Amino acid sequence: MFKDYNLENVKAKVSEALVKAKKSNELYNDVVTFVDPSEQLATMPKSGKMLGIPIALKDNVCTKGIKTTACSNILNDYVPIYDATIVKKLKDAGAITICKTNMDELAMGGTNLTSNIGACLNPWDTSRMSGGSSGGSAAIVASGAVDFAIGSDTGDSVRKPASYCGVVGVKPTYGRISRYGIIPYSSSLDHVGYFTRSIYDASVALEVLAGRDDLDMTSSNREVEAYSDNLNSDIRGKKIAIFKNVYDGLTNEQTKEIFGKLLANLKAKGAIVEEVSFDEQLLKAILPTYYLIANCEATANHSNLDGIRFGVRKDGKDVEEIMINSRTAGFGSLIRKRFVIGSYGLFVENQEKLFRQAQRVRRLIVEEVKRCLDNYDCLIAPASNDIAPKLDDHGRDELSNEYLIVENHMIIGNFTGYPSMTLPMGLIDGCPIGVNITCRAFDEQTMFNIGASIEEITGLKDLKKEVA
Amino acid sequence: MEYDVVIGIEIHCELKTATKMFSSAPCIFGAKANTCVNEVDLGHPGTMPCVNKEAVKKAIQICTALHLEIDSLVKFDRKNYYYSDLPKGFQITQQFHPIGKNGYIKINVDKEEKKIRINRIHMEEDTAKQFHLNDITLIDYNRAGTPLVEIVSEPDMQNGKEAAAYVEALRQTLYYLGVSDVKMEEGSMRCDVNVSLKPKGSNVFGTKNEIKNLNSIANVQKAIDYEVARQKALLDAGKNVEQATRRYDEALKETVLMRKKEGTVDYKFFPEPNIFPILLDDAWIKAIQADLPELPDVRKARYAKDYGLNDYDISVLIANKELADTYEKVMKTANNAKMACNWMLGEVSAWLNKNGGNLANINCEYLGQLINMVDAKELSNSQAKDVVLPEVMKNNDPKVVVEAKGLKQVSDTSAILSIVLEVLNEQAQSVEDYKNGKDRALKFMVGQVMKKSKGQANPQIVNKLLLEELAKIINN
Repeated sequence: MFKDYNLENVKAKVSEALVKAKKSNELYNDVVTFVDPSEQLATMPKSGKMLGIPIALKDNVCTKGIKTTACSNILNDYVPIYDATIVKKLKDAGAITICKTNMDELAMGGTNLTSNIGACLNPWDTSRMSGGSSGGSAAIVASGAVDFAIGSDTGDSVRKPASYCGVVGVKPTYGRISRYGIIPYSSSLDHVGYFTRSIYDASVALEVLAGRDDLDMTSSNREVEAYSDNLNSDIRGKKIAIFKNVYDGLTNEQTKEIFGKLLANLKAKGAIVEEVSFDEQLLKAILPTYYLIANCEATANHSNLDGIRFGVRKDGKDVEEIMINSRTAGFGSLIRKRFVIGSYGLFVENQEKLFRQAQRVRRLIVEEVKRCLDNYDCLIAPASNDIAPKLDDHGRDELSNEYLIVENHMIIGNFTGYPSMTLPMGLIDGCPIGVNITCRAFDEQTMFNIGASIEEITGLKDLKKEVA
Repeated sequence: MEYDVVIGIEIHCELKTATKMFSSAPCIFGAKANTCVNEVDLGHPGTMPCVNKEAVKKAIQICTALHLEIDSLVKFDRKNYYYSDLPKGFQITQQFHPIGKNGYIKINVDKEEKKIRINRIHMEEDTAKQFHLNDITLIDYNRAGTPLVEIVSEPDMQNGKEAAAYVEALRQTLYYLGVSDVKMEEGSMRCDVNVSLKPKGSNVFGTKNEIKNLNSIANVQKAIDYEVARQKALLDAGKNVEQATRRYDEALKETVLMRKKEGTVDYKFFPEPNIFPILLDDAWIKAIQADLPELPDVRKARYAKDYGLNDYDISVLIANKELADTYEKVMKTANNAKMACNWMLGEVSAWLNKNGGNLANINCEYLGQLINMVDAKELSNSQAKDVVLPEVMKNNDPKVVVEAKGLKQVSDTSAILSIVLEVLNEQAQSVEDYKNGKDRALKFMVGQVMKKSKGQANPQIVNKLLLEELAKIINN
């Protein structure tokens, strides 16, 4: 954890982290590119909130001079000419990037099975998936190689792998962290998120990452709070809403039991815990609504990947053919499918009844959730029905009734932009499962406070499956 | 058959801002290729747009000058299409909520004033510039992301002359606002013209053709005149006009087919998610409107009132803002407004054309003094133009020049008379010739007087006195 680092042990700690990360990569395939830390060590500031702490970045975070592929063939040779805003902030805070991590291609997936370098395996059970799309970042934090890794969260791409890998996965409020320099998926749903193994580290990290960035017009001008100083696990009187529709959808008795025990302990600590139900029709609409908005925005967002100015270029007789050939060769089949769906949803004859309708449904869902959080400090639910699925469970990235609510409720955090976090609540068959809490916009402090209380209850702070 | 001609014009105008529409890269025309670009202009992954406030300000100035209603809620949309000059694969524009709606500009054609309505003005970003060589295409991204406004007229023009007047009126207005270089030849102002014909009095529009990439106002008129004749000939022959995009070929003096209208392209416009709607502060808009630079129409009225110039002189002066600005400075010293105007349009312009140089470098006080000396007949026109003006253009004091070169014109009648008498005495043969009706003799004697006065005698007085004295001789 962050407190284990100091100026004296920086070099040793960074070397140690690199050794562990290489080991972790051999076991779990969680790294795309290792970064030589010597220049960062030489130019490290004298002080900072993450001084000398080795970290990992998801491979959709642009790093100047360091290959950034987003695990897509079309960006296989892409070396950014600029640093993402968060990369600058992390550098200024003294953090040392040691690697770029595996992910679903262009962050479009929830399994990490669609990466062009292959699946990222779950450190707790390598026959299981890490979850995605930020699978590599979740796995490498779980492995203990680093204490912090950046991810991105468009559907639940930080919070779901955090649950599967047994780490803390934070998605702050939309606009709290600049997205400038993050290869996008869907601009209105994309959030920068991150992984740690303790709530305290998570609260420190947000102080480093948050804040207005003039390069991202959607970033907020709100002052960054002293989350770590104000961290307080006393939740007496806090009103916690149990997401009843999710609870009712749980089929795994062990998950129910672990979650039930947690709720009882929260009550015992003085929280007011009540059940809240949402309109089932709206909840069933979450996934199709998400698919439409995300794919429509994604098809435009990735139109820049044409092989003309950067990335992998395939020859053709003219520029148009070059673009077609590059894109055909450069994207996996799932991505191409999503682009087709997105394009279809934007056609002038479809846009009103598909894309615009999806935006209206999103608004209804947001209003429903807002009404709940007007009366409660936090919405709580298991992050998933079960522990990480087996690697051959391919259905996860498809639309299906089976998973509609229990597996996709965390998308609410992306629709609303509200801060949402997953942290481990227990282990089933030796594999972790997480609990998700969602709070009001910009109320990250309450989210951390409740998280700290849960951490005390579960005793799963610093949970890791350490590589030898 | 008689037809009504229907013309509508779309103008893209580059805004003169220090940086791009959505990035902090500089906008410099003529810079070395691909030196005014950053990751945003190149559409690199992860980049995001940031709206240029100065561009919004300039768009508001334009909307105000052209009487448009301003939408204080600024929104942008994506226009999606794949093209190698479009780095992001979409252009950020204002499809659904243009910054300005429903305005107009007045034009004057054959002394008739006419209002041309403007449908909308919206902000967007320019594309990169492509150079197609034999077997390769080169792309210069300097232009990519340059702020543009698109000004869309209603189809209110009926002939090439009106269209040219509209473009010129817009050009002047935008230039006086200082928002754009408006150089059609450099592409900072680009003009697409839609032309269609319909039977006279019909309210059903005919099939239109779009003429693209017109690089001068003269060509706007020529292209339209040609296109109208072409469509008329087709219709008269009972043929159909096919919808198409054409260009004007200067050498052929014809509009040439570029492409037939393919099925309408679906640009899949949708709101730009990375720019939240921006509500402009009303006070900011009002401050911009209150501080609008003087527009050509206002200046025209001022010149008529303050200087008493005629419409023609005013319109020629106004057409060149720098010339008009210089004129105003000269008029701080010059007494005769009409004469000063003639000098600006005549001698001064001619000198600059011939010798090069910049209006901004002229010492307007000296130029005014020179004009005053001519006006007071202290200096002959020819000496002022040929001898003194070149010195004034070198920032030399005209009084000093006149003194040094001994050019001061003598208008003292008695002094001139003594020279006249002297010449008459010496040139008996010329006097005889004059008596016999040889007019050339008079010219010769004027020349002699001027020579003896070293060119300083006022030629009109010399002429007058010579005629008087010759009459005396003849009558005796």
